[in-house]
Amino acid sequence: MTQSVADHPILDPRFAPPFPQAVLPVLRNPQLRKNVAHAIDVIQAKRGRLVAEKTDWQELRTAGSALRAHVLENLGTYLEQFESRCTAAGGHVHWAADAAEARQITLDLLRQHNASDVIKIKTMTSAEIQLNPFLEAQGVHAHETDLAEIILQLGEQEPSHIVVPALHINRSQVREIFARTMGLKNLSDDPKELTNAARRYLRQKFLTIPTAISGANYLIAETGGVGIVESEGNGRMCLTLPQTMITIAGIEKVLPRFQDLEIMLQVLARSATGERMNPYTSLWSGVTPGDGPQNFHVILLDNGRSEMLRRPVERQTLKCIRCAACMNTCPVYRQTGGHAYGSVYPGPIGAILTPQLMHMHHAQSLPYASSLCGACYEVCPVKINIPEVLLELRSQVVNQERRQVGRVFDLMYIGLRMANFLFTSAWRFHLAQRLGRIGARLVTRKDGWIHSLPSIGGKWTQTRDLRGLPDQTFHEWWAARAKEAK
Amino acid sequence: MTAAISSRESILGRIRSAIQTPGMGLADAAVAYGALPRGYIQAGKLSREGTIALLIERLREYDAEVVECTPEELPAAIAAQLAASAKHTFVAPPGLPPSWLATGFDWKIDNDLDTAEIEKVDGVLTAATCAVADSGTIVLHHGPTEGRRVISLLPDWHLCILLASQVVETLPEYFDRVEQPPALATYISGPSATADIEMTRIKGVHGPRFLHVILVRDPDSPTQAPAMRPADTAPHKGR
Repeated sequence: MTQSVADHPILDPRFAPPFPQAVLPVLRNPQLRKNVAHAIDVIQAKRGRLVAEKTDWQELRTAGSALRAHVLENLGTYLEQFESRCTAAGGHVHWAADAAEARQITLDLLRQHNASDVIKIKTMTSAEIQLNPFLEAQGVHAHETDLAEIILQLGEQEPSHIVVPALHINRSQVREIFARTMGLKNLSDDPKELTNAARRYLRQKFLTIPTAISGANYLIAETGGVGIVESEGNGRMCLTLPQTMITIAGIEKVLPRFQDLEIMLQVLARSATGERMNPYTSLWSGVTPGDGPQNFHVILLDNGRSEMLRRPVERQTLKCIRCAACMNTCPVYRQTGGHAYGSVYPGPIGAILTPQLMHMHHAQSLPYASSLCGACYEVCPVKINIPEVLLELRSQVVNQERRQVGRVFDLMYIGLRMANFLFTSAWRFHLAQRLGRIGARLVTRKDGWIHSLPSIGGKWTQTRDLRGLPDQTFHEWWAARAKEAK
Repeated sequence: MTAAISSRESILGRIRSAIQTPGMGLADAAVAYGALPRGYIQAGKLSREGTIALLIERLREYDAEVVECTPEELPAAIAAQLAASAKHTFVAPPGLPPSWLATGFDWKIDNDLDTAEIEKVDGVLTAATCAVADSGTIVLHHGPTEGRRVISLLPDWHLCILLASQVVETLPEYFDRVEQPPALATYISGPSATADIEMTRIKGVHGPRFLHVILVRDPDSPTQAPAMRPADTAPHKGR
């Protein structure tokens, strides 16, 4: 039972189990934890070296943060400018209020171009709207072209990271997947050989499938241009060879001017993969006769984003440039990997983004999936104060619970009311301490630790051990000491 | 199409009501934009020689092969690189000087070659728009000497001719040189690579696996270097 949960994590926040429950199979899977820790250690070491050599790193963060905040404050203006410039350059701009509308627009466009197959550049927005299973059900086969995404697609696995989505899978597992699905029995587990197998597998698809889907790293309002950063060249293939390109971009992705890339490109690769620059960055505006797709569509996806603009604390979430530095540095993510978050967006950014994309109706356990240590804030290249947003969302979750019918009978609520009653009087507090000490003896084991509390306290001890209560409180010890001195 | 129009209005309506700044237009945004902090390093501090040395170091870190020559030596340097590649068929964009197309090799000039033909060639020769030393980045704006994007993508071997006057130290210096944003641009920092399997860097997934650069010591000082106008750098754009 546990095993099946680990094999097929549910990355749909509407159906995923709460974080503390979803994390259990991962914690019992040493191979998975080893794979995640190894990948994270490598990225972290590279990032550390390259950020350290950048003497103006803090100035770049300040500029990036201010620029992204400025975009959000003027989002409507910049989106309209993007739309008119992109249209003038020969592109078509569509607006999708939610995931269902984005999927439908995509499908309609694919049908218009009689597409039965489509090649894809890795895109988080498409994962967010669960495009692939939808297209499959409608008879359109989506071929992922990013190496990690092929590993996941062929291995029927779920992504666990937003930049290196297959980091939980090691080379021998990749070998097994490729050997089985590509019919290559003699394949070794050498990463070079595995990469070559993927290159050969995809080459024909690039050359023959005339329709492609991408996300966007940047929409440039000034030019109506779109930017994509990548490493492998699969992006350039998809942007160059097909006749039709459909780009699905979150509405927050816009930058005012072309020149703003000088900030974003300096912080993104360093934060994401620990490189001075990613191997390939592609920029294009609309349609260029004779070069690349002659039909170009951009779908601007809202899907909960506009609601997040309302208050400055939550608005910060939309500054995100999807570099994943927060998950790479997060002590919780390092232990759990991505699947436990029950969303295509894991880690600290996922913990604040996912519940908000769900209008706070799902994934309410995610704001608690953090120790609030603040490491994510420190590394964020656009200075999103993730702990601040986590706390705000936690308070929203508590307020939701408070409004629920039957709260008077809720054990947590009763417990907190009782605590309030006891803590407001010294007399009652001392009495409670004495009674508590007697009670605690019943649950304290021989090793001096409490391993499980009864009733609602069990929720606390589910993931923690408590030290047994000492025989004397500090107040009692202090009073006894004063008496002895006399 | 009514549904799409109403989604557009509803999204923009939600954004406007959320931000609470009705009437904010491009002009107001431009004022706020102008006041944004940009305290990061704009211009580099290295000498010309230092900048070029840094670029060469970075390119070599990416396993690119770099040779230097004078403008007079360029045709011979190109011929030497082509010969050393042990390859025979090369594609070139239509705007290259004829002297670059060394004799003894099979040249395909890209006047709308079809993809199957480009897929068959062994290598590609192009010029570049700019290079950024700090990150070892080669910038293509896909003008007549750099060609369509596909020709520098499908062949496995890329020889890129770079003028010393095109080299800047920092990324902001490149953006400073761009007078008007190009319709198409590709920034190349080393050969195509992946680290998706256990974070082991593997060279050459889909793009060219071999990048060779000839750095031409042209006499132009950086201040005299031509600004990048769209007319020089992008093919004519239809509407």
